Amino acid sequence: MTGPVLVYQLPEELLAGPAAGIVAAAGQAEDAGVHALLLGDRPAARPGRAAPPAAVVTASMLAVRTRRIGLVVDAAPAYCEPYNLARMLASLDHISGGRAGWRMAAGPDPEADANHHREDYDPAGAREARTVEFPPLLRDLWDTWEDGAFVHEKDTGRFIDPDRVHVLDHVGPTLQVRGPLNLARPPQGHPVMLAPAGEPLLAAEADVLVTGAPERAVAADRPLLGTVTPFVAETAERARELHAAAGAPPSDEGNAVLTGDPVQVAGQLAAWADRTPLDGFVLRLPLPGSAEAFTDLVLPELRAAGHCSGAPGAGTLREQLGLARPANRIAARLATAGAKRS
Amino acid sequence: MSERDLHLGLMFWATGTHAAGWRHPDAAADAAYDIGLIQEVSREAERAKFDFVFLGDRLASDPALQHSNPAQISRLEPYSTAMAIAAATSHIGVVVTANPTYSDPYSIARLLASLDHLSDGRAAWNLVTGADPAAAHNFGRDAHWNTSRRYDWAEETLRVVGALWDSAPEPDGSGARRIEHRGEFFSVDGPLDVARPPQGHVVVFNAGTSDRARELGARSADVVFAGPQPTLAARREYYADIKARAARYGRADHVAVLPGLTPIVAPTTAEAVALHDRLNALLVLDPEQEIGDIVRAGGIGEGHRRNLTSASEVFGVDVRGNDLAAAVPADTLAAVSEEGARRLAEITRLTRRTVDGPDRITYGDLVHATPAQLSHTVVGNPEEVADMIQEWFEEGVADGFNIYPAYVPGAVTAFTELVVPLLQQRGLFRKEYGGRTLRDHLGMAVPKR
Repeated sequence: MTGPVLVYQLPEELLAGPAAGIVAAAGQAEDAGVHALLLGDRPAARPGRAAPPAAVVTASMLAVRTRRIGLVVDAAPAYCEPYNLARMLASLDHISGGRAGWRMAAGPDPEADANHHREDYDPAGAREARTVEFPPLLRDLWDTWEDGAFVHEKDTGRFIDPDRVHVLDHVGPTLQVRGPLNLARPPQGHPVMLAPAGEPLLAAEADVLVTGAPERAVAADRPLLGTVTPFVAETAERARELHAAAGAPPSDEGNAVLTGDPVQVAGQLAAWADRTPLDGFVLRLPLPGSAEAFTDLVLPELRAAGHCSGAPGAGTLREQLGLARPANRIAARLATAGAKRS
Repeated sequence: MSERDLHLGLMFWATGTHAAGWRHPDAAADAAYDIGLIQEVSREAERAKFDFVFLGDRLASDPALQHSNPAQISRLEPYSTAMAIAAATSHIGVVVTANPTYSDPYSIARLLASLDHLSDGRAAWNLVTGADPAAAHNFGRDAHWNTSRRYDWAEETLRVVGALWDSAPEPDGSGARRIEHRGEFFSVDGPLDVARPPQGHVVVFNAGTSDRARELGARSADVVFAGPQPTLAARREYYADIKARAARYGRADHVAVLPGLTPIVAPTTAEAVALHDRLNALLVLDPEQEIGDIVRAGGIGEGHRRNLTSASEVFGVDVRGNDLAAAVPADTLAAVSEEGARRLAEITRLTRRTVDGPDRITYGDLVHATPAQLSHTVVGNPEEVADMIQEWFEEGVADGFNIYPAYVPGAVTAFTELVVPLLQQRGLFRKEYGGRTLRDHLGMAVPKR
């Protein structure tokens, strides 16, 4: 990778607006060499305004309207069935040609909980245990079909190779899923999983860790992204006005608020990239125009300083992040069991 | 244009709806994961002014169905597929199958509203309750719920989903209100977070022949997707019954009945019959010695066996051990059961082969007539297919059809190029879209809050 990994978390106001605006912002980010978009998702009403469409739906639209940029969606295990989420993420990976990612949302959310009570299910009940059980279960579901299991042999009539599909029979503390999934293994093997660095049980399963303010970043054994909220404009004064108009949100543990002109903002990001263990940034773009401003004003400065290739990346999201394509876990377990038997 | 408008949908099965459709030379064998091809087929349907593309679903996979029903093994998830189609088209509706038995009303309302927004009002929900017991095991349940419980659950889901769509804010954020639903199965505060769908309520499809299904369809659905019926009389009864039930809810003009239809069409009758024969010849038959192998665990493979043993059961005569290409003796055919006789008439209708004519029914024909049929099939030249469509449309059987292409994309092209122009010339089907939303195509107003 040349320079830090850049992930745009698009602002809700943009995502709740017309499709054309979302597609345009994604296209600009892609052309400027941004690695991935992060689409937030929270199934609860926002007071006084309409929320964006569900992230998986927006991501599917962007998958066919862009070519290279990664598409990471938020989803909380508390509000999904594992079989449903596994196939949604796998579908996004197929439709995008291997650009799907999932950021696990784990925190308590009483307002969203209040929309999802069923006779046999209370979202708050086993939230932590369920959230921890989800990621490895999803990996296993994606592995129920081995690569190449769909053979599609027109001449013989063999559609699949039955030896390369497996029942899972997962029985865990909170979840039971028999499998197999009704979907071919995703192009990336497993869509990229992102998790908060501060949640050890989730972090252990993640491919990429997301931490808060860059200054507090602690070195990790896998790609690590800091979280930055940039208010940027042609002049530092105008940037301060934007920040003030947005209610002057402060930096905190969860993110660093960065306000300044393009040179200041790019300089601070470059400094963090050089001096902290971070491999890149999740840029929480706070305003409808923030994506365009960051792309037009800050990225050229980063490029000039050698901190952004400026060229659109190629390959799957895993390849862009330097992550290996995972081997099939079920096939590996069966091979181990077979070796022990013989 | 006649007073009523004919409606046409495209049932998208990546393998084609014929079990060997994917093996045809004009088929893409791996269409399930080729989103570019799925989009192109959808654009083809849009150029032909179809009302919608229909995406079925199944929440389980059974590899044992690879020869009898390969479409049931795998597919892309419908919401994302529908979005990818909508992003590549401008008018055609996109129908997502979603099963409330394995989801919750807030998620369904939100995903469908999202699709309706990003497609500018072209989304529909095909509500199914799941006849497939295998799905239960993928969702933490030991057993499949019975019909009564599934419909109780589905009806409450529908009420909550409708209330959520009505609770949603306008795009400017105004007008949202909580629903505070406290029902038998769900507790949902609301309001919906995303804006109210452009169509007000996303269009609802429902299928089914049971009393509960008919009642749900008549009361709550905009389109009833009619499954196969054994006789024309049964189809007519179904149509009249749905309309009568809908009338009791004051909705007689608000429920369209659309049966499935598999057209095997070619420029001449002889070519169409040859195409039908060719598709059947590509089928891999089930081994004779493994009766019951496919019918396992009550999966939906039931009724899909194809071999001479099964044919013997269905026709009530022992035809085992014969050459599939050989003509069946008239005395054997004279001894078939009542159900067998009905199927012999079907064989003649499809293949033009008869019990005693110069071109005689073969053992292979009996085998191919054995599994349960997915939809009504018509084999013929363009005029013959258009005649059948017109007859059903004008004689109280159908308001239109969900077209099942036997193979993809070839059979879609054949229907849109050969049959649709005839339907347009006859004034039965639109030459241009009259509006932009699926409700516009179906002639249905946006419901008030």
